[in-house]
Amino acid sequence: MNARLVCQLVSLYPQEWRIRYGEEFQSFLETHPSNFRTVLNVIGGALHERVLSFRRLKMDRRQNSLALMLYAFLGAIAAGINFYWTVDDTSLAAAIYNYSALFTSWNLVRAGSFLALAVFATVGIPLFLTMLRTAFAAQRWDVVCRLAVPPCAALVTLAWMVTAAQLSGGHWVPTPWDVTGDWTAPRDWPPLATRWALSSVTFVLMMTGIILSAISIRQAIRRSDLSKHRRLWFTASSMLLAASVATMALGVLTWGWFVQEYAASDFHVRNGGLFSSTNFASWMASCIVFLAATVMAVKGARSALSLKTE
Amino acid sequence: MLEILVACSQISCYAYYVTRSTHDVADQNPNLGRYSDPPLLVLTSLADGPKHGHAMIEDIVRMSGTRLGPGTLYGAIARLEREKLIEPLPVEERRQPYRLTAKGLRVLRAKLATLHGFARAGLRKLEAR
Repeated sequence: MNARLVCQLVSLYPQEWRIRYGEEFQSFLETHPSNFRTVLNVIGGALHERVLSFRRLKMDRRQNSLALMLYAFLGAIAAGINFYWTVDDTSLAAAIYNYSALFTSWNLVRAGSFLALAVFATVGIPLFLTMLRTAFAAQRWDVVCRLAVPPCAALVTLAWMVTAAQLSGGHWVPTPWDVTGDWTAPRDWPPLATRWALSSVTFVLMMTGIILSAISIRQAIRRSDLSKHRRLWFTASSMLLAASVATMALGVLTWGWFVQEYAASDFHVRNGGLFSSTNFASWMASCIVFLAATVMAVKGARSALSLKTE
Repeated sequence: MLEILVACSQISCYAYYVTRSTHDVADQNPNLGRYSDPPLLVLTSLADGPKHGHAMIEDIVRMSGTRLGPGTLYGAIARLEREKLIEPLPVEERRQPYRLTAKGLRVLRAKLATLHGFARAGLRKLEAR
């Protein structure tokens, strides 16, 4: 088999596998007859080893609980941003102050978000800094790089939004909630096609940032030793986070219910939804993500509570 | 996201298993039976002494009519070595020979005995028809 092809095929295998078998597998392949099925077989073998190596790197319960809390928190952020921008600057925002039921459910979401932020500030940030300090001390640059992903992603997205806003005249911020709808765009906003293009980039940056943050922090957690942290850290914070995310989910659900009761006409117009969808569709997307985040948070809490049985 | 990636990899693995025996000699000669459990084939191939990869492939073809692909062979070798059923010997002319460990010998004996009993029971049933 061609030496260059062999190198490329062997590079598909996981690093730890290559360290042990790379050299002998390479010399084996070089003397093996080359055909399409053989190449497919080696690619399949590499994928199989990758899945096995992924399974072998299982996280302990502390790490698992923390990773689930992270997913729940990021999910709540995504759903919360969507919910806020769907309501902000629309007739629904005014309706909140006209109906006490709407005001109460809106405040339920706010209370949940404040509680989630409090958990993040008291547990998340100190844990993040401890992991960072430990990684620096041990010169684990792989962990440091992964921990740097969320702040970098947030900075890139913010920088893009500021730059795009400046370039498009400074009167419009490129968010996917302000593209078009059942309203007339101000004259000083950029043309519709530009708004679609710029806000799509913002959306992609936001989603990529959240997904990359989840993956990189999970990998950093897996590479960090959390066994020295007290169990109470995990149990208390995961239960509080689960409570806060569930409160937000309940608030968003009841808010939608009451809006349907009191301001249905405003709820079904394209007035602030994601990418000019109806407010109802955008609210529904938030509900789904909030419910998924609640499931994650409850799973994280269960994982933390099972620590006492370790 | 990670779960989706894992699911995709697993689907690819199923595809890999479909193509893992790159060339079945049994397809050309239907009189030869076909048996495809790569780790057991590798263990059985090493039963009469140490062998390197190419020798194992040819031996397995003779024994079972199945030609293992390189990915399948090294997947089985890695798994057997992880389970301490085989061990590497010093390299000979860029070729890496392997041999059975004492544990591998015990496991192989037990597996073959089970298969032997199974085959005998099956044959008895056929004869009783």
